[in-house]
Amino acid sequence: MEAPRISFFKEDVASLDRLMAGCVLALVLWGIFCIYSAGAGSLGQGGDLAFRQTLWMLLSCLALAAVLAAGHNRLLDAAYLIYGLTLLLLLFTPLLAPRVKGAQSWIPIAGFRFQPSEFAKISLILMMSKFLSRYPPLTFKAFLAGLGVMAVPVLLVLLQPDAGSALVYVVIALGMLLAAGAPLRYLFGIIGTGAALLPFVILFGLKEYQRMRLLVFIDPMRDPLGAGYNVIQSRIAVGSGGFWGKGFMMGMQSKLRFLPEPHTDFIFSVCSEEFGFIGDGLLLILFAILFCRIIGAGARSRDRRCKILTAGVAVWIWFQMFESVGMSIGLMPVTGLPLPFLSYGGSALLSLFIALGLVESIYIENSKFRSVVHVLS
Amino acid sequence: MPEIRDLLDNRLKVLLSCLLGSLLLLLAGLYYCQIYQGDKYVRLAYNNRLRLIRFTAPRGEIFDRNGVPLAVNETTFSIMGYPLDLNTPEKLAKFSEVLVRHGIPMTIPQLERIVKQQRQAPYRVMRLVPNLTMPQMADLVADTDFPRELFPLSVWRRTYPAGAMAANVLGYVAEISEEELKANAENGYLGGDLIGKAGIERSYEERLRGEAGEEAIEVDARGRRVRTLDSYSATKGEDLRLTLDMGFQKRAGELLKDYRGALVAMDVRTGAILALASSPTYDNNPLAWGVSGQEWNRIAGDPARPMMDRAISGIYPPASTFKAFMSVAALEEDVISSSTSFFCGGALRVANRSFRCWKHSGHGAENVLSALQHSCDVFFYQVGLKMGIDRLIKWGRKFQLGEPTGVDLPGEQPGIIAGPEWKRKRFRQSWYQGDTVNYSIGQGYVLMTPLQIARVYAAIANGGKLVTPHLCVLNYREPEDLHLTPEKLALVQRGLEYVVSRGTGARAGRFGVAVAGKTGTAQNAHGADHALFVGYAPAEAPQYVSVAVIEGGKHGSSVASPLVGELLAHMLSHSAGEDQEKMVTEDGNITKPDEDVSKAHR
Repeated sequence: MEAPRISFFKEDVASLDRLMAGCVLALVLWGIFCIYSAGAGSLGQGGDLAFRQTLWMLLSCLALAAVLAAGHNRLLDAAYLIYGLTLLLLLFTPLLAPRVKGAQSWIPIAGFRFQPSEFAKISLILMMSKFLSRYPPLTFKAFLAGLGVMAVPVLLVLLQPDAGSALVYVVIALGMLLAAGAPLRYLFGIIGTGAALLPFVILFGLKEYQRMRLLVFIDPMRDPLGAGYNVIQSRIAVGSGGFWGKGFMMGMQSKLRFLPEPHTDFIFSVCSEEFGFIGDGLLLILFAILFCRIIGAGARSRDRRCKILTAGVAVWIWFQMFESVGMSIGLMPVTGLPLPFLSYGGSALLSLFIALGLVESIYIENSKFRSVVHVLS
Repeated sequence: MPEIRDLLDNRLKVLLSCLLGSLLLLLAGLYYCQIYQGDKYVRLAYNNRLRLIRFTAPRGEIFDRNGVPLAVNETTFSIMGYPLDLNTPEKLAKFSEVLVRHGIPMTIPQLERIVKQQRQAPYRVMRLVPNLTMPQMADLVADTDFPRELFPLSVWRRTYPAGAMAANVLGYVAEISEEELKANAENGYLGGDLIGKAGIERSYEERLRGEAGEEAIEVDARGRRVRTLDSYSATKGEDLRLTLDMGFQKRAGELLKDYRGALVAMDVRTGAILALASSPTYDNNPLAWGVSGQEWNRIAGDPARPMMDRAISGIYPPASTFKAFMSVAALEEDVISSSTSFFCGGALRVANRSFRCWKHSGHGAENVLSALQHSCDVFFYQVGLKMGIDRLIKWGRKFQLGEPTGVDLPGEQPGIIAGPEWKRKRFRQSWYQGDTVNYSIGQGYVLMTPLQIARVYAAIANGGKLVTPHLCVLNYREPEDLHLTPEKLALVQRGLEYVVSRGTGARAGRFGVAVAGKTGTAQNAHGADHALFVGYAPAEAPQYVSVAVIEGGKHGSSVASPLVGELLAHMLSHSAGEDQEKMVTEDGNITKPDEDVSKAHR
């Protein structure tokens, strides 16, 4: 195999998957508009938030370029080391981080807040790709070992406590196990066991507010002032958008602060209110193209690690998107997961771009490989 | 293993189909929400009639040690309204006109400011006009022009029965400022809430404030309540019982009335503060009800600074009251013994400078007892020189001078106990022996608050335990044992008894109680000397310590000592209730300190 190159040549850029890059940039720019609009209510900081998010986007592009320069092979080779360092970082996060809204998941660095649990998603994906390709989860033992790789970071983020991230890790790991060829009976078995344990988790494992969120998912009028309030108001925001939407900056629900956290968790509600069903449809199409391109890059690759890796990235983006959109129309309970690319948040954007850097790197390697094959034949 | 790769490719296809399928599910959900039920939600958004009303929690009340109320809540009425109903100048003008007609002068800009400041969300209620009485409110509501969307809400108002008498201790509450709102964003404060601004009201804010209640109601198009959706009732804050004795505080205030300064009385064993008077003072009632800017400037800008609590924030040279501390330090360091004597010829020459004794003719030979009794400066100059500045400062640190006493009041000054290092940094000058000489009579680079002086003397009186002064038992801390030698301490105590029985502080002993203490006259670069006296009583079994600092009072012996003597005598003859039983029994026995502690905890 050809040794990965450090230099970043023109032809690498030329063979970039431009459709994927275009979709992502369109999503982030759309998100910046929505953040501007969401922040423009009585918060009066829309411009400031949008500007910060733009800076984060530029920084994220640089990070993506850096990942391309390093190449996915190098990073996959170092996967065990990266995984180990990430676990250490997660272990020390509660010690370094100040308590914000009951959770210690942010580390302040040079004026920016940095969230290790976001970056842990990447190292989990790298680690699992390498591990599952080395030990395919075809036997029950190997399957359990694969689950074990995911269980350690899950326990560490639960300590912060950050149940949302833990859930994302679990779903990513299940998706990757599926992609790595785990027998379906194992997967359904583990999902079935989880479902059977769910009542106990709800009764004993969840905090009062988390239980309340699940209850208001079933009946929002149970607590219209507290947890149910978000659900009701978000549904009103989305529904009142109608087919065409109210137009950019015209959404009343977010401007009047009926919506809580409009620029992060409820960004989709802001988007829906202003751009309507037509805008939402376009948004879903952009995501659909993105999923096709990501998994397509894996399918073209001949490296099993890469196939599993792209599945992990796709499942990650999909799950957060599905949860965030579903939550805003009451299809899913409120968990506070950000909508990928659109929600305000630097750590999330940066880690998504790093993951996409890996996918692009896989894509580029294969197009180079193909052109070589093409010239030879 | 090509079959594995095929399996993987197959799985990737399955995964992609699942993902795309789920997107169709979301699209269906959005279709249902935005198109099928779109009209319903458009109507709901248009009629978003959820309103939130916040009930401020009744604040915890404050009582003195005998249950005398010091801060209570009085019911008044406020006019409430929603931002949506006051969003045009016409609406404001109409409302202002109604108010003015009923004798409440509220201009349109004033109302605008109120709306702007409290605006949180359109469905959150605001307080437009506070502090109305029942008749005023009834009168207003009866007016046909009174906007129907607005409504009265009964609220409490803070009143301080003791007024100026304990204003420096209690402080006051007022509407939360924008800076405080930002600083307390996580504690659930909202614009319009009251917050403790000074004194006990501020230091125990967390306990006193309680938890606000909230009610969610649905209103009709004219803003009238249709039904209540949900409500939480407010929880009253915790009541506080202070160690302060209002009777003693009142007497202290009266004694201090004609002066500018502070008069403090504290339990020598627990550090419980029984009286903490500062003069001049201010009435905290108007501040709690909301004063005009002009009125506020008059109080806050007064050159006499009535809002400064001189007992904890005023820093003064301890002057001769420092000599008792010097004696303890010198005896403990074995710099002097009970028999050491120095000759006072009226002055001491140190490095070509002459340092005079207050008695120009000199005291003759003095030992530590007589030097305390006569307040002989030359004796202490010699002691200071022999001990040296480093050991002196070491003892200052041991008595925690130069740091706050930890009293549960905001704004406490730490004072200064500065040595050669500080002087080098601050003035780029080296330390001279003359500085040490000045130090040894409590002048120069040593400044203390009246409360710090009381604390030092409490330690001398109680056998060497440094107490933490407190106004509420919640702030009680176990006294810190300084491990002083009992015989040496007894010597200083005897010296302090002589001061009153036959020395400079004789005027403190004319009220029928045996007082031990020390006078002080602090040089003041800006005017007449400050007069100090600190004493404890009864001298043979100390119960209370008291300090008087009179700014510009000239002589500690004539002005400050009678105040302390009279206050201590008053306290010992009026010790109330449980205290009296425990205090001095017939044969003069004193309760043990540990019993006293348990009482403090109760």
